[in-house]
Amino acid sequence: MNQNPDLLTLRSVSKSYGTVAVLHDIDLSIRDGEFLTVLGPSGSGKTTVLRLIGGLEPLTTGDIRLDGQDISRMPINKRPFNTVFQDYALFPHMTVSGNVGYGLSVRHVQRKEIARRVAEALELVQLGRFADRFPAQLSGGQRQRVALARALICRPRLILLDEPLAALDLELRRQMQEFLKSIQREIKTTFLFVTHDQEEAIGMADRICVMQAGHIRQLGTPHELYYKPNCEFVARFFGENNLVAGKLGPVQGEQRPIETALGRLICSITDQPHLKAAPEGASAFAAFRPEALHLADATDGDNRFSGIIADLAFAGSSTVATIKAGADNAAQRLRLRTPSRIGGSALRSGETVALSFAPHEGHLVLA
Amino acid sequence: MSAVVTTQLAERRSSLLVTVLAFAAPVIFVLVPLAIFLVYSFFSVDQGTIVYAPTLGNYVRFFTDPIFLPVFWNTIVLCVSVAVICILLAYPAAYFLTTLRGRWRYALLMLLLVPLLMSYVIKIYAIRSILGLNGFLNKALVAIGILQQPSTLFVFNMNAILLTLSLLLIPFAILPIFLSLERIPQTLLRASDDLGASGLQTFLRITLPLSLPGVASAASFVFVLAIGDFLTPQMVGGTSGFTFGRILYSQFGTAYNWPFGAALSVALAIVVICAILIGERFGRSRGTSV
Repeated sequence: MNQNPDLLTLRSVSKSYGTVAVLHDIDLSIRDGEFLTVLGPSGSGKTTVLRLIGGLEPLTTGDIRLDGQDISRMPINKRPFNTVFQDYALFPHMTVSGNVGYGLSVRHVQRKEIARRVAEALELVQLGRFADRFPAQLSGGQRQRVALARALICRPRLILLDEPLAALDLELRRQMQEFLKSIQREIKTTFLFVTHDQEEAIGMADRICVMQAGHIRQLGTPHELYYKPNCEFVARFFGENNLVAGKLGPVQGEQRPIETALGRLICSITDQPHLKAAPEGASAFAAFRPEALHLADATDGDNRFSGIIADLAFAGSSTVATIKAGADNAAQRLRLRTPSRIGGSALRSGETVALSFAPHEGHLVLA
Repeated sequence: MSAVVTTQLAERRSSLLVTVLAFAAPVIFVLVPLAIFLVYSFFSVDQGTIVYAPTLGNYVRFFTDPIFLPVFWNTIVLCVSVAVICILLAYPAAYFLTTLRGRWRYALLMLLLVPLLMSYVIKIYAIRSILGLNGFLNKALVAIGILQQPSTLFVFNMNAILLTLSLLLIPFAILPIFLSLERIPQTLLRASDDLGASGLQTFLRITLPLSLPGVASAASFVFVLAIGDFLTPQMVGGTSGFTFGRILYSQFGTAYNWPFGAALSVALAIVVICAILIGERFGRSRGTSV
């Protein structure tokens, strides 16, 4: 994956509506054949990125390059990209095959060829039987697949998906996630997928680009984002996390301590040079996942502190404890996640417990 | 127990009353007069008094007399032409309106609809003075050298009726077309662009088909209004511009033959109903309501 060349590059792209800037100097490279998810809360500018690439809107500054060629001024109907719109935007007066074949017929492809490729595309999205139906006669998931078939039939270099699963219910959404991923693997086309749902992003993406307030906060694999968030926003936004504020201590090899309300916590700084470079006494957070936190036993020396279990919530496969820790067992709220057991949890609500997490499972985030 | 039953009964009775009233108004004010007309068309007139004995004479006269059928046919052709002219003029105007943004769009729409607020008769007089031998149109055509001298081509004849009706009825065509164009989701047009269609392709393959319901209702509106109009032909048609509406009008006026007039109105009503049904048929396009 890493050897793949860049397909599309955005260089210091910004976008303003009047005086309101929605994107600030974005730099982003999309690799050929990858599944890139742009993730962010509403208003983060993620859909704007997609609209700029698709050519639905002009950019204010910067340029977009495809294979090194500037395409910023290329009109929408000349760009070799196709979009799956949030509300599908199927043409209501055309049948499924009319919709799917539209991109070919406006390019004056021969009828026989259109029929062949439409059948092929419908086969791919498993809608062969529905070729003569109208969009109004289809369910949400089926419309979704028609929209996908319509977008991929022109063999675009890049398929843009604008929160296409937002309107589906949970079960269908899961199915469609797997389906999208398998199609992407099969046709080996680059997908740019925009969503606000981080679970969706983790499940599907090769790489995730986290956006907030018109800036890209972090770009990396789901694993990198989960275990090495580079800022407080990503650490909080991406999955459940415990963040404890404190001041950085001196670097100790691949680890660095932080003085917090829970005492001195030692965290890993492997492969994160900016944490090594940060001055002593700088404000930062110790971050550790609920599943990394556990009841301390006699062998745990580092990162040991006590807390009181405020609440226990059974969540199926796991049980989540809300813990109050720090001064007077009140300063800090933490979450602890343990696998559920049929005999019930070993934890008791109201109990005071000793807790710990391993230094290599903790990381630091600059404030 | 019995008290509950009585209140329920009272409620049911009052809801029944509301239902009856809701249906009664259209029945009394629309269907009954139509039925009376239908019945009258089977009577006859003798020496200025109506003979209440059933006869098919009026219909036989309508179909056999060499005057009525040609006028009937010419009127239909005239009104179809009016509808076509109105659509051709209204569609670009409505399309232009939908390209405007926000406040301008509705301000201009209102401006186009303002003529509807003016008195019909005054508008006809105004158009008559434009079309006349010394009217604005003739003077303008002479001034720019298209005509050597004022022409009688559109003075008190069928052409005058055609032009006047078209001018009067254009607002009725603009409104439904504008509404159907406005209802087309913008994302459909963007999706078409995105799939590689040119502006013209998007118009011909997405915008136009999706606006056809509006075009159909506009056409049936204009046609029905034009065919029922007797005042305009009366005022700008002169002697050669003779329409079915004028014949009808004369049967109830100078000729004083109500039963025959009723038979002619039945013929007209059948055409109108057909026009509405056709408009309705094309006005409902498949699957547009997703």
